[in-house]
Amino acid sequence: MSALTLTLKSIPQQRIDCSPLTPDKLAGKSVAEIGAIELQSGKLTLRTDAVFDISGDDASDLVFMNCRDKLDYIGNAMQSGRIIIHGDAGWYLGFHMKKGNIVLHGHAGGFAASGMSGGTLHIHGSVGDYLASAIPGDRKGMKGGLVIVTGNAGDRVGDQMRRGIVLIEGNVGAYCASRMLAGTIGVMGSVGDYVGYGMRRGTLLLFSQPRLHATLQDCGSHTLPFLKLMFKSFSGLPSKFAAIHLNRVQRYAGDLANDGKGEILIFM
Amino acid sequence: MLIKLSGGTIYDPAHGIDGKAMDIFVRDGRIVEKPRDGERIDQEYNLAGKVVMAGAIDMHTHIGGGKVNIARTMLPEDHRHDPAAHSDLCRAGCGHAVPSTLTAGYRYAEMGYTAGFEPAVLPMNARQAHLEMGDTPMIDKGGYAMLGSDDLFLRMLAAKQDQNAINDYVAWTIAASQGIGIKVVNAGGINAFKFNQRFLDLDEQNSYYGITPREVLKTLARAVHELGVPHPLHVHGNNLGVPGNVETTLNSMAGVEGYPMHLTHIQFHSYGTEGDRKFSSGAARIAEAINKQKNISADVGQILFGQTVTASGDQMSQFRNAGAGSPHKSVCMDIECDAGCGVVPFKYKDQNFVNALQWAIGLEIFLLVDDPWRIFLTTDHPNGAPFTSYPHLIKLLMDKTFRNDMFASLNLDAQKMSTLASIDREYSLYEIAIMTRAGAAKLVGLHDRGHLGVGAAADITVYTDIADREKMFEKPDYVFKDGQLIVKDGNIVRVVWGATHTVKPEFDRGIEKEIKQYFDKYLTIKMDHMKVSNDEIEGDGRGKVIVQECKGRREKTA
Repeated sequence: MSALTLTLKSIPQQRIDCSPLTPDKLAGKSVAEIGAIELQSGKLTLRTDAVFDISGDDASDLVFMNCRDKLDYIGNAMQSGRIIIHGDAGWYLGFHMKKGNIVLHGHAGGFAASGMSGGTLHIHGSVGDYLASAIPGDRKGMKGGLVIVTGNAGDRVGDQMRRGIVLIEGNVGAYCASRMLAGTIGVMGSVGDYVGYGMRRGTLLLFSQPRLHATLQDCGSHTLPFLKLMFKSFSGLPSKFAAIHLNRVQRYAGDLANDGKGEILIFM
Repeated sequence: MLIKLSGGTIYDPAHGIDGKAMDIFVRDGRIVEKPRDGERIDQEYNLAGKVVMAGAIDMHTHIGGGKVNIARTMLPEDHRHDPAAHSDLCRAGCGHAVPSTLTAGYRYAEMGYTAGFEPAVLPMNARQAHLEMGDTPMIDKGGYAMLGSDDLFLRMLAAKQDQNAINDYVAWTIAASQGIGIKVVNAGGINAFKFNQRFLDLDEQNSYYGITPREVLKTLARAVHELGVPHPLHVHGNNLGVPGNVETTLNSMAGVEGYPMHLTHIQFHSYGTEGDRKFSSGAARIAEAINKQKNISADVGQILFGQTVTASGDQMSQFRNAGAGSPHKSVCMDIECDAGCGVVPFKYKDQNFVNALQWAIGLEIFLLVDDPWRIFLTTDHPNGAPFTSYPHLIKLLMDKTFRNDMFASLNLDAQKMSTLASIDREYSLYEIAIMTRAGAAKLVGLHDRGHLGVGAAADITVYTDIADREKMFEKPDYVFKDGQLIVKDGNIVRVVWGATHTVKPEFDRGIEKEIKQYFDKYLTIKMDHMKVSNDEIEGDGRGKVIVQECKGRREKTA
């Protein structure tokens, strides 16, 4: 058995919705059957074999080669298996993903991990805005699972995020953890303005002092024993966060304009 | 062009025809007499063995107006999860509970419906409602203008103005908003809500105007009757959804003192307070009262399980219900200082005691009201369920075994509280044709619709007579709209744009002086800008205004 490999033939003119191409949906299908699956691209429908060269037979180990940022919804609602992506991914990577894992060697567009409720998403690169956020109309962003980003993330990381862990090794844009409901976000690099805007609950781990708006309240510096346990749980992860062992923080509570049960912990 | 529909089994309750094999002839959109021998038949459809009825009429369905748009805006997930792709004929759309205008029209036609009436056209928002209805293809439409909680009306009542003046105002409102009737929603309650009242019983005074819902109902029922408007006052009662509201509903029936009144989505107003959970069925009492009082008609507002959204002008009730919304979001808002509106998404669950009992109460009312001419088949789309579930509802009414099987799978506590399983009645095709065609047309005042007599508009639906009534009503063989074939085998073959039905009762133009003063002083737009003209409906070349006959102004009745 070799990994089922989908190699993009040429740069698409339009965005392509790749949501039918997940390990669980392809399980047990022959190359011919997979080739006949229809993909929506703008107002056209394209056959999978018109877009990709298909090889291999193990659908539980799916590989996208030569991937481009026009391929949206990779790993949509995926329930099992593994997807490895070489190249960039489009928007909605891991949208409503439930289980399994996705490794991206490249950059991803907006709304990565939106609505994700389990599994892991490992991005060796940067992501666009709205990482782990809710799409308009949804009331919850990411609902579980783990996201690791080695590069930077855009604005609104974790908007309305409800559960799960997002670890970002680079910088993030403005409105990080806005309207966050619960969960954990860690950012090693810098953080833009309005961090924790409308944050209701949840935990934000920062390693540099951001500019804070008026409704985040300084609660003083603390030594928090739970951090030791948390970082221990990170120790097995393929991320720089695995090497951190700190438990002395400056704690801010907020957003006081919206319940104020969230906490921003800044390591000193 | 002369079309012959030959040999179909006709169900035409308006003419007492119950399943008789007959030919129907259609010329230029109308049903005509049998032509002379030798006249050329341009098209013939052999309908031997098929069931032929007039096009169905939904006399209460929220398909236009501000609140529907709010519901659409608020529920992107409803649209995302139910896309409707475009075809060669039809445009794309989406939406399960609140479909886009075009999709709503297509889906109605595909089910054999040829008319639908928007029951809550707020006069101030009538233009929006007509624009949306104008964008709903395939079916005829019309709207009931909402009165009863607007300040001008309550001022007139509080000032003890003459009934004649009120009649003029009511007639002016129908004309200005291009309505076909008058609806009152939570009589006076929407206004009382703005004065911080959270409940308003039938004899409770509005804290500012001192007016009770009973006075509002009686005055409006009388006004509609005296103006000769065929559709009786369309009443969404007080205390919607409140356990014990069966008393309010019964008192409302008595309160109009014999004037005709239509009680809408009566299922939501038929709750008692018996049992451990203080929530029980009042269906038997309601049905008994309807059977006894011939001036009362009702539509049921059946709930069916699944995700939907409740959109209502009844801000007071929706404010109470907002916490129970699923998904948890809601809108309650004032509209132009003139009325209110509330939109709350809802998911009815068969294992939930209250929902299961609501389901049973609706069916009990259907089955216990004897006269199908005075009870109508609605789900109060989308409040009880989307209109697309009508075929399922028809099967529940026509198939006792199916109904009892469904009932047996519901919440056990709810089953204990309902007598549904002991009711043996099954609706016949004739009775379904009354409820959804002849009766509805008569109630709304559509003189040339809902029947298959000579002179009627050729809105005709043809079904295959199969035992599974859900399948039968889901997918008609043919649907004709004004003589044109629009649906074949459940698929659209031609897109047409229905007309807008209205009534134009006479009134004394002198009333405009008072209305204009009020608009100038209090409201957000000028009186003349509020009026919807025929041109606005017909201007795009596809809409048409049909004025249905009014009986003429009656003399003072009391």
